[in-house]
Amino acid sequence: MSQEQHHINYVKIWAILVVLLVVSVVGPFFGVKWITLITAFGVAVVKARLVVQNFMHLRIEKRIIKWALGTTLVLMLLFFAGTAPDVMEHHGVNWTNDAALAAVERGVEEGHGEVADDGHEAVGESDDGHEAAGRRAVEHEEAATAGQEFDAKAAFNTTCSVCHGTAGDGKGPGAVALDPKPANFTDSAFWETRTDEEIFKAIKEGGAAVGRSPLMVAWGATYSDDQIHALVAYLKTFRKK
Amino acid sequence: MSQAVADVQHTQEHHGPQGILKYLWSTDHKVIAMQYMFTGMFMALIGGFMAYVFRMQLAFPGVSVPGFGVVSPGEYNSLITNHGSIMIFWVAMPVLIAAFGNFLIPLMIGADDMVFPRINRLSFQVFFLSVLVILTSLFVKGGGFGGAWTAYPPLSASGAYNLTKLGSSLWLIGVALEFVAFLLGGINFIVTLMNARAPGMRAYDIPILPWFIVLASMLFMLSVGPLIAGAVMLLFDQLLGTGFYDPARGGDPLLWQHLFWFFGHPEVYVVLLPAMGIVVEIITTFSRKKLFGYKIVLYTAVATAVLSFFVWAHHQFIAGIDPRMANIFTVTTLLISVPIAELCFVLIATLYGGSIRLTTPMLWALAFLAEFLIGGVTGIFLGASGADVFFHDTYFVLAHFHYTFFPIAIIGTFAAFTYWFPKMFGKMLNETLGKIHFWGTIIPFNFIFIPLFILGLHGQHRRIYDYNHFPELATPALQHLRIVATVALIVMLFFQLVFFFNVIRSWISGEKAPRNPWKANTLEWTTESPPPHGNWPADRMPVVYRGPYEYSVPGREDDYWPQNSPT
Amino acid sequence: MKPIATTRSATGIPTGRLAVWWVLASEVVIFGGLLGSYVMHRLGHPEWGAAAAHTNTWIGAFNTFVLLTSSLTAVLAHQAAERGDGKKAAKLLMFTMLGALIFVSVKSFEWTMEIREGFTITANGFWSFYYTAAGLHAAHVIAGAVIMGFIAHDAWRGRELQRVELIGIYWHFVDVVWIFLFPLLYIAK
Repeated sequence: MSQEQHHINYVKIWAILVVLLVVSVVGPFFGVKWITLITAFGVAVVKARLVVQNFMHLRIEKRIIKWALGTTLVLMLLFFAGTAPDVMEHHGVNWTNDAALAAVERGVEEGHGEVADDGHEAVGESDDGHEAAGRRAVEHEEAATAGQEFDAKAAFNTTCSVCHGTAGDGKGPGAVALDPKPANFTDSAFWETRTDEEIFKAIKEGGAAVGRSPLMVAWGATYSDDQIHALVAYLKTFRKK
Repeated sequence: MSQAVADVQHTQEHHGPQGILKYLWSTDHKVIAMQYMFTGMFMALIGGFMAYVFRMQLAFPGVSVPGFGVVSPGEYNSLITNHGSIMIFWVAMPVLIAAFGNFLIPLMIGADDMVFPRINRLSFQVFFLSVLVILTSLFVKGGGFGGAWTAYPPLSASGAYNLTKLGSSLWLIGVALEFVAFLLGGINFIVTLMNARAPGMRAYDIPILPWFIVLASMLFMLSVGPLIAGAVMLLFDQLLGTGFYDPARGGDPLLWQHLFWFFGHPEVYVVLLPAMGIVVEIITTFSRKKLFGYKIVLYTAVATAVLSFFVWAHHQFIAGIDPRMANIFTVTTLLISVPIAELCFVLIATLYGGSIRLTTPMLWALAFLAEFLIGGVTGIFLGASGADVFFHDTYFVLAHFHYTFFPIAIIGTFAAFTYWFPKMFGKMLNETLGKIHFWGTIIPFNFIFIPLFILGLHGQHRRIYDYNHFPELATPALQHLRIVATVALIVMLFFQLVFFFNVIRSWISGEKAPRNPWKANTLEWTTESPPPHGNWPADRMPVVYRGPYEYSVPGREDDYWPQNSPT
Repeated sequence: MKPIATTRSATGIPTGRLAVWWVLASEVVIFGGLLGSYVMHRLGHPEWGAAAAHTNTWIGAFNTFVLLTSSLTAVLAHQAAERGDGKKAAKLLMFTMLGALIFVSVKSFEWTMEIREGFTITANGFWSFYYTAAGLHAAHVIAGAVIMGFIAHDAWRGRELQRVELIGIYWHFVDVVWIFLFPLLYIAK
C-alpha cells in the first residue's frame, strides 16, 4: 500500500484540481449553455474521479468496494428514472399538473421582480411557518391574478362544497363523518345568529377562532381578504328567504 | 495474534461494570441483543393494544372500548398510524434484525463479539431514544400523528390538515432516529460477517441466517437514503414552512411518494429475509436434512434484493403516476414473486424425505411457509395495475400485507425465540405450552384476516373509522365479519398469556438446557447455554471444516455433523 | 480491549476501512436522493433561474478551493501516519480542521448576507433546496471535523494511527459531495 503512495504525487493532483476549478468558474463567462454545462459538470466528474481514485485510493482498493459504490450510483440513476417522469414533467399523455404549470408561469411572469418583492417583505417578518410562507404565496397569487376576476362560485365548489355541499346546505360527502355538522347556509336561522365579520373570520382563521369546530380549517393562507369577502357574498346567495 | 488473545483475556477478566450498570452500559453483543429484544416485545404489546382498540371501534362503533374509552375519529387515525409504524419500525426490525442478528451473528460465524462493540451500544442508545420520542408523540397536545404510516403530504406537512401538529413532527423525528440506529447497526453486521469469520469458514460455509440478515442490512442501507433526504424536507415543510411538497410553491407531493416507496418496498424484504433465514435454520435442523440448494437460496435472495428496487411504484398505481411507469412496474412486480416462491419451494423440497420432528419451533416454521404463501399469492392480484385499480386502498391490501407481515414479524419471532431460547437463557421451554400457544395464535390469526379479504372484495376502503357512514358497507353481513375479526383478535391476544407464562416459568424453574438440545450443526450450539462473555475461551475459538447443513450424511453414525468438528 | 473479531479480516480489507466505505455507500444514497430531487425540480422549474442567479459564485469557488486544499492535507496526513509519524499526521489533520473552520465561517457569512437580502429558506423552491442541501453538507463537515479532532488527539500520542486514513476517506467524500454541489448551486444555475 505504501509503495503505491510514493507513485502518487498528491500535490500534483491538488494542482490539477485547482486548475479544473478555475476552468469551471470561467465556463459561464462564454455565455454558451453547453459550454457551461460541460465545464461545470464535466469538470465535477473529472475532479470527483481524481479525488476518489487518488486521495481515497480507490484505484488500489479491493474490487468489492468498487462494486458497492457502483451499485449506489446505479440505484441513484434508477431512482431518478422512476421519479422524474412524475416530478420533472408537468404533463404527460393523459395528465397535466395544473398547479405546477401555474407556478412556473407565475414565476416566469414575475421574472426578476419576484425576488426583489420577496426580499423586502421577508425582512420585516419572522419566519413563523406555513401561514407566513403562504401569505407570500398569496401575494404572488394576487400579483399574478390581478386583473382576473375571482370566481367565488368556482372556489366554493372546489374548496368548500366537499363539506358544505354544492347547494350550501351542509350536506357534502365529507360531512358524513363530521360532528358537529358543517354550517347550513340555506337556513335563515343560521344567518340571523351570525355577523358577516364572524363568517369572514371563520373562513380566514378557522372555526376555532370563532369558538366553533376546529374541523373548519383556516383558509387565510389560500384566499386573500378580498377573495374571502367575495366568498361571504356568495354564501349569502344560498339563503332561503 | 497472541496480543489480541491477551487483550481479550484481560477483557474477560476485568470486563464490565457490575450490577445494573452491566446491563445499561454493556458492549457485549448478547446483552445488546436482549435490550433490543425486550424493547421490541414491549412495543409489540403497545402496537397490539392499539389494534385491539381500533378493532373494537370497527366492530362496535361508538361504544366505549374497555381500557381506552370512546374512540374519536382523530384518535382512530392516530391509532392506525402508530400501530403500523410501531409494528414495522419498532417491533419487526429491532426483534428480527437487531435482536436476533446481534445475538446470533457473532455466534454463528465463530467470533467473540461484533467488530465494533461500542458502535453497537451506541446504536441501541439511539434506538432507545427513538422509542422515547415516538411514545412521547402519543401524549402531546393533539395526540399522536394521524396521517397514516405512509405520511403523504399535504396531509402530513400541515398541522392545519392533520390536526396533530406536534405529534407529526415527533413521529418524523422518531422514525429518523430509528433509521440512524439501524444504519449504525447495519455497519456492524455487514463488516462483522465480511471480516470476522472463524478460520476455515468460507463464504459458502456461512449459515443462511447471518447471510440473510446482512443482505437485509445492505438492502436497508442502500434504500433508506432517499427517504432520509425526504424526511428532512418534510420536517422543514412542517416546521419551517418550506414548500418541498406543495405544488403551488414549486414542490410536488408525488416526490414524497416516490422517496417513501423507493425505501418502502425494499423495506419489506429487509424484514422478510431475516424471517426466512430463521425458517431455513429451523427446517434444516428438524428435518435432519441438507438445505436443498444452498447456493440457489443465496443467489435467489440476492436477486430478490436487487429486484426489490425495481418495483416500488406498485404502491402508487392510482396516485397519478405516469401510466407508462405503471406498466413497467406491473411487470417487475409480478416478476419478483418468482424468486420468493422459489425460496418457499426450496424449503418444501428440503422437508421432502426428511426425518421430520414437529417441535414447537418447527411448527412455527411450517406455519410461516403456509401463511406467507397465502400472503404472497394475494400480492399477485395487487401487483397487476388493472386489478389494483379496484383493490387499492381496500381491506384486500390490508389482509395481503398482514398475511405477509404477520408471518414475518410474529411467526418468525416465535419460531426464532422458541428455537434459540435454550441457548439464550440456558433453560428449556415447555413443549406442551408451546404447542397450545402456537395453535392459539395461528387459528385465530386466520379468523382475523380472512374476513378482511372478503370485506376488501366488497369494496371496504381503509382508514375509515366508522362504516355506518357508508350504507352499502354497513350491512349486517359485513358488520358480522368485522365482529368475527375483532373477536378472533381478542382470542389471539388472550393466548399470548400462555407464551408469557411459559417463558417466565421456564426461565425461573425450567429444565436446564444442554449445549446442543436440538443436535444442530451451526457454531452457536458448540458453546455453553447461555454463552459466556467472549462466547468461547479466547484460546479455543472455533475453526470451521465444513458447511452448516451436513445432516444425515451417509456413513456417519450421528445424523448431524457440527461445522467445527475436525473429524 | 478490542474483541478478536475486530482484528480478523477474511476479505483482506482492514475492518475499519471496510466500515467507512459502507458508511460512504449509505451517504451516497442520502445525498443522491436529495440532489436527484433537486435536479428534477430544477429542470421542471426553469423560473427558478431568477432566484439561483443570486448565489455568489466567487464565495462558492473560494469554498471549493478551501475544501480541495483540506483534502490534500488530509491525504498527506495519511501518508505521515503510514510512516508512523503521529505528530506530523496530527499537525496535518489540524490544518484540515482549519479548512473546515474556514469553510463553515465563510458559509455563515454567505448565508447571513443572503438571508438579509430576503433569500430565506422559504423564499422560493430553489432557496429551500439550496439551504437544505448545503446545510446537510455543512452538518457533515462539522461532524467530520469533530471526529477528526479526536483522531488527531490520539495520533499526536502515536495511538490508533490507522484511523487517520479512515477519517481521511470520509473527508474526501465530503469534498466530493461539494464538488457536485458547487456546479449545481453556483455555476450551472
